Amino acid sequence: MQTILETRNLRVEYPAQAKGQGRKAAVKDLNLRVSAGEVFGFLGPNGAGKTTTMNVLLGFVNATSGSAFLFGVDVREPIARQRIGYLPELTYYYKFLTAEELLRFYARIFGIPRAEADRRIDRLLKLVELEPVRKRPIRTYSKGMQQRAGLAQALINNPDLLILDEPTSGLDPLGRMKVREIIQRLKGEGKTVFFSSHELGEVETVCDRVAIINQGELKVEGRVADLVAEHQANLEQIFLKIIGYSPEGPT
Amino acid sequence: MKGRIPFLVLLLLLATCFSLATVIQPLAQGWSKRAGSGSVLKMLLGDSRRLFANHFFVQADVSFHSGYYPSIFDQAQAPGNSRHMTAKEGDAAEEEHEKQMNFLGPPRDWVERFGRHFIITAHTHLQGGKEREMLPWLRLSAELDPQKIETYTVAAYWLRDMGKVREAEDFLREGLRNNPDSYEILFELGRLYRNSHGDTARARNVWDLALRKWADQDAAGKKPDPLVLAEVAMNLARLEEKEGNLARAINRLEIAQKASPNPEVLQKQIDGLKNKPVAAPSER
Amino acid sequence: MNAVIAIAGVVITELYRRKDFYVLFVLTAVITLLTGAVNFFNDPQIVRYLKEIALLLIWISGLVIAIGTTARQIPAERENRTIFPLLAKPVARGQVILGKFLGCWLACGLALIVFYLFFGLVSGSREHHWPLVNYFQTLWLQWMMLGVVIGLVLLGSVVFAAPSSNATIVLVIVVGILLLGSHLNQVALQQPEPVRSIVYAIYFLVPHLEWYDVRDFIIYDSPLPGWADFGLATLYAGVYAALLLFATWLVFRRKPLNL
Repeated sequence: MQTILETRNLRVEYPAQAKGQGRKAAVKDLNLRVSAGEVFGFLGPNGAGKTTTMNVLLGFVNATSGSAFLFGVDVREPIARQRIGYLPELTYYYKFLTAEELLRFYARIFGIPRAEADRRIDRLLKLVELEPVRKRPIRTYSKGMQQRAGLAQALINNPDLLILDEPTSGLDPLGRMKVREIIQRLKGEGKTVFFSSHELGEVETVCDRVAIINQGELKVEGRVADLVAEHQANLEQIFLKIIGYSPEGPT
Repeated sequence: MKGRIPFLVLLLLLATCFSLATVIQPLAQGWSKRAGSGSVLKMLLGDSRRLFANHFFVQADVSFHSGYYPSIFDQAQAPGNSRHMTAKEGDAAEEEHEKQMNFLGPPRDWVERFGRHFIITAHTHLQGGKEREMLPWLRLSAELDPQKIETYTVAAYWLRDMGKVREAEDFLREGLRNNPDSYEILFELGRLYRNSHGDTARARNVWDLALRKWADQDAAGKKPDPLVLAEVAMNLARLEEKEGNLARAINRLEIAQKASPNPEVLQKQIDGLKNKPVAAPSER
Repeated sequence: MNAVIAIAGVVITELYRRKDFYVLFVLTAVITLLTGAVNFFNDPQIVRYLKEIALLLIWISGLVIAIGTTARQIPAERENRTIFPLLAKPVARGQVILGKFLGCWLACGLALIVFYLFFGLVSGSREHHWPLVNYFQTLWLQWMMLGVVIGLVLLGSVVFAAPSSNATIVLVIVVGILLLGSHLNQVALQQPEPVRSIVYAIYFLVPHLEWYDVRDFIIYDSPLPGWADFGLATLYAGVYAALLLFATWLVFRRKPLNL
């Protein structure tokens, strides 16, 4: 199966925050491989290095050593992001634009012809249920609506790989369900989804494979069903055990 | 009752402010000179309005030169007085001004050479009625500094030249109201009476007054401009000569001689008048 | 190029959705019309003071729009984190800079067209002649100058943390160049060494923005510089803007984005 996303001995270090301190390694020699058509859950507690890894994959941060590839292209090349869609944890869009203008802006970036862009914008706004408010500025949207507008922009280029950073964080149960439905639907269309989440129940429901990292190191990687069978526990229990948490205190 | 308390507090504060204002307002009159000023500009700008007035006067001169004007960095000084603004071609003032305005010199480097293409480099004066373009700046200058006498004389000179005699007279009278001791404005007013109204009697009166004002200022040690004295006296001499009052004409020329840069020329005129046969003085 | 044009489009949309431009235009129009309504010695033919004031306001407005709009572009992208979804697309940082530059520059061009149309109407209605070529050259040179200013502000926006400090510093530099730029060589000659050489070096290094201020030619109805000089000035501004954009890219390409 074709490898869509890959990291090889990826290491990211940040400069010392104070005098006398050494450089801080946020990611330590991480090796990941995500194949086409997979829904891959990337898990870890806060500060584990999930977002840093994603930032390297998206070209926001440069790796200290090692390398990362999307569709076999080094992530430092902008072209590596031609076939991906990215949904950040919080909505970071031009609030003076309407949802329709936002999608048209991103469609133009991908060089999608006007007629095709119109078709995709209509389809996506229907998919995320923003069709009735497409002419309203994004600043007037609720948080859930803004997140859905974000999802629509992530899909504008019909990406083969979706990178979602905490896609359901801050959404109400209905919003979460809708996002889950969309992920399932994309999976059905053969898309690859790489996403980070704290919602372990949700991960268990939608993911084929997961990786758990803690303090920048990869602790576990494998198929959800295999991990559950191997550890004789559900994903939440496995996660807590790996990060060293027990009801009595850290182990 | 609870809901009304904020409104009652507001009302109380308002009443306090009003009461304080009635007490403080009469006192405030004496705190600042500006507060009592009748002029909005004076109140807003204070004494700095003179700076602005000077800027607008210079702007009138810039306009007179169609943008060709030395900056503070240019070797030549900006024209020190406004004489060139009313000088005709061939006047001594005009020749001196021509030399003064030759400030550009050869370019020192390629930046300057290329930059010359983007500035006005020819020394010209407005003509053919275009002199009117100076007037708004002069009006603004007078508005900001009513004591700046040149503003009135230069503006009146060009207004008269453009046939706007009434406007020139009004402006000069405004200047005289603001500067009752100004012999310069009186001189310009006299020229207006003589040249535009043909009223030599009023011209003579005004010029005589100008001579007295000049003498008063001289006596008070204010160092009045001797060139203006010479011009007033010469104009008066011409008037007296025309009317046959040779003795008075000689007297005026002698006054002018004391202040003129070319006394020998005037001496010739005096000699000429002394040798002239005496005619009966005409009716004034 | 798609990305550059798309980013520029958003900048222009932002400009006309914000109130800055309208406020400046209305202010310019009101001040010009009020000044035009003043009666100076009952002479309705007086026009140059009006042209002087209108063009001064247009120059101030042009600078305020250019500096104000550009100074907040990259800092706002970083502060609002809109840079992240943007860079997650196949967009290089250099394209972001180019797009921002193009957007601000085109937005200034559009604003200048509106301002000069108004100016043409006001002065033409008094003078009864329309030197359109002169208006075009004046507008063009001002627009070219704003290109350099925008480049300078973009560089400032990746160097200085706060848009306000960037805007203030650039405004002081630009006004300084406009007022003193052409006289620095004279100042240099009056200095002892090594100050003389330093001032002379600055004189040759600073962009000579004062060349682009040809308002006097319009105000005093003088023939404008020849087309060859006009072309050279355009080239000079283009090279300077490219230089500043390259410097901006050098600073921005590895800059952490406050994650």
